[in-house]
Amino acid sequence: MKVTTLELKPNKAVLKIENTKPYFVNSLRRIMLSELPKLAIEDVIIYDNTTPLFDEIIAHRLGMIPLPTDLKLLTFRDQCTCKGKGCPNCTVRYTLSKEGEGVVYSGDLQPEEKSWAIKEDKIPIVELTKDQRLILEVEAILGRGKDHAKWQAVQAPAYKYYPIIEIDHKKCDLCKKCIEECPKNILEIKNKKLSVKDIEKCTLCRTCMDVCEKNAITVRGDENKFIFRFETDGSLTAKEALLESASILEKKYEELGKLLKKLK
Amino acid sequence: MEEELERKDRNHIGEKENMIIPVRCFTCGKVIGPLYEEYKKRYEEYKKAVEAGEKPKETPKQILDDLGLERYCCRRMIISHVDLLREAAPYE
Ligand code: SF4
Ligand code: SF4
Ligand SMILES: [Zn+2]
Ligand SMILES: [Zn+2]
Repeated sequence: MKVTTLELKPNKAVLKIENTKPYFVNSLRRIMLSELPKLAIEDVIIYDNTTPLFDEIIAHRLGMIPLPTDLKLLTFRDQCTCKGKGCPNCTVRYTLSKEGEGVVYSGDLQPEEKSWAIKEDKIPIVELTKDQRLILEVEAILGRGKDHAKWQAVQAPAYKYYPIIEIDHKKCDLCKKCIEECPKNILEIKNKKLSVKDIEKCTLCRTCMDVCEKNAITVRGDENKFIFRFETDGSLTAKEALLESASILEKKYEELGKLLKKLK
Repeated sequence: MEEELERKDRNHIGEKENMIIPVRCFTCGKVIGPLYEEYKKRYEEYKKAVEAGEKPKETPKQILDDLGLERYCCRRMIISHVDLLREAAPYE
């Protein structure tokens, strides 16, 4: 297997993975969606809410806020030494108190410790008019995407087969139909030959094949080579999410291996 | 664009959670809440320019692209949102 990064930003990654099969890339994708832990608000204690939104809606909106997650510092609450009571090893607390005209933003949640300060601090939670008030306290814990979408750190993980575009230059009469129809605009005529500009943008839609009257172009996917892309909500960086997902997958295989050894 | 304006005229009262921009895209989960205010500001400028018969600095498509909204699930969250919270604000 060979992995090349095509794009790596704090919250987004595009990778080229070679010499592998769809089931492998897909298992990584599914770990990202359902097994990768992150921090999210679970309990909300509302002391005062005179805003136009119901308590439940505010609690739901708070749950959706991405919280910076340091997986090295946290354990799951039900596996913690405090036995589920909630201690600094498994729980992060924030308070919010705002009164009078203005928008309540995610950044108004004050953490107990500065290192947990919310980076995505401009998410509007609710808007207050003159005499309205919102006072609450929240507890955030680790969770997994399979329990609730608020614990899903990775968004839109997806892979596609690496495109292979074959052009039969003998058949092609340079009619330009495929160039006009390609939704990604990646075909062009260069040195009197039809050529591909940026093959990685090809979506394998095969529109070019459909419009070509000479059967001069064929598009297929390489079944051993993939473009894998995903984004994170900012609670983990793309790199952290990828490394952590890979190690979760590894542990699962190890566990399975141990169980299989016991069989006989 | 006309379609967009038409949609705004329709009445959505009763959907309380839709009164304020959702925190995330319903489909993919991308955080889109913080982008709405900026989109609205830039869209108003576009509208003003079009109504005055001038060439707008940017089109709604360009604004959405610039805000990093690649997928149409996220784009529809922004363009189809009707901000009604202020109308309901007096009712605590
Ligand atoms: S398959 Fe679709 S995207 Fe790819 S080159 Fe043909 S028309 Fe363009
Ligand atoms: S549509 Fe077919 S014949 Fe025409 S330019 Fe494309 S590949 Fe060549
Ligand atoms: Zn604990
Ligand atoms: Zn989306």
